Amino acid sequence: MDNLIMALGWAGLYGPMALGAIGSMIGCSLAGQAAAGALLETETGHGRYIGISAMPSSQSIYGIVVMFALNRDVTPENAAGLAGIGLLCGLALMFSAIYQGRSCASAINVSKIRPEIFGMSLAPAAIVEGFAVFAFIFALVISAGVPA
Amino acid sequence: MADYYTLVTGLPWLPEQMEKCTQLPLSRIALERRLTLLNETDQKVLRSAEALYHPSLSNMQPDQARVQAWQQQVDQLPSETLRQVVGLRLEIQTLLAALRYRRRPDTQAEHFQGFGRWTQWIRQHWKEPLFGLEGRLEFLEHWGELFAQGQTGDLQTQVDLYLWRQLLAVERSHHFTLETVVCFVLRWGLAERRLRSDPDAALNEFQALGDALLQHSGIQQRLTQLFEDSYR
Repeated sequence: MDNLIMALGWAGLYGPMALGAIGSMIGCSLAGQAAAGALLETETGHGRYIGISAMPSSQSIYGIVVMFALNRDVTPENAAGLAGIGLLCGLALMFSAIYQGRSCASAINVSKIRPEIFGMSLAPAAIVEGFAVFAFIFALVISAGVPA
Repeated sequence: MADYYTLVTGLPWLPEQMEKCTQLPLSRIALERRLTLLNETDQKVLRSAEALYHPSLSNMQPDQARVQAWQQQVDQLPSETLRQVVGLRLEIQTLLAALRYRRRPDTQAEHFQGFGRWTQWIRQHWKEPLFGLEGRLEFLEHWGELFAQGQTGDLQTQVDLYLWRQLLAVERSHHFTLETVVCFVLRWGLAERRLRSDPDAALNEFQALGDALLQHSGIQQRLTQLFEDSYR
């Protein structure tokens, strides 16, 4: 039983980083595929499409920061806390990156047709980013309470 | 089914209103080149949906066999949305066929063959002007008037406008999926047929195509050079 708790503790430690990175990979890939298609159809503004497709990469950075904040010797006393915070924060980052990628793909699709709505079309992706920031900040706050 | 992020954003824009589509945004060859991004199974689905939606005039099968073939092909479509989209097109074709069929002398309701929900209803209400469907289909009254006046061109336009709106609604409710691609290609087909049958639009397109060719192929420079040479 102790071994399982210890394993979960280590998973919680590395979870925000790994799950955030998985989410970023998928999100950037979805938005990047949309950007590649938009390059076919447009004469200008290619840089901004590629720029948007990198938006979901921020979740990986948040994951790294949370991982460092949680980084400590894993013991049976703190393993459950690390698992709870790390895995839940990781899942939040992963899903936010995937859905942000989809929002970015839609933004690219519509701004290709009407370039003047480019800024407004990014609002949904920015809102999703906001939720990722919540998960990130409160993971940092809560991590202070986990015994070292 | 796969998602098609690159393909959907790589497709050009077709106007929301069919009347505003005065020129095809890309040729069939360019469209085909982009459609190679579909996987093999989805390409077959697209071909099947297109064949049902824009049937070839050379199909001379008897009505019953044709309807059975339609039913089989529609059943094989992998998505409920596509079955509904194609089914609606075939049902409208059935409705128009019933109006035409009834005009012929010595026709009987029980010999009429059609596809979809309304066929049985049409047979049962054969003697009614619009088969008693005008309450259910708000557009039918107008279509019936056009048909009675023999304005088949206008009737075809109205049918195409209706189908265009339906396809656009489905296209907007699905993002980056096969349904989006299929609906776009079907709308492209409607626009292409309309432009082919509209002399003004065809003239505009010919003009645009001619200008593009002259600009890009160097024919213009060659003509100018020949013109200048002939004056020397």
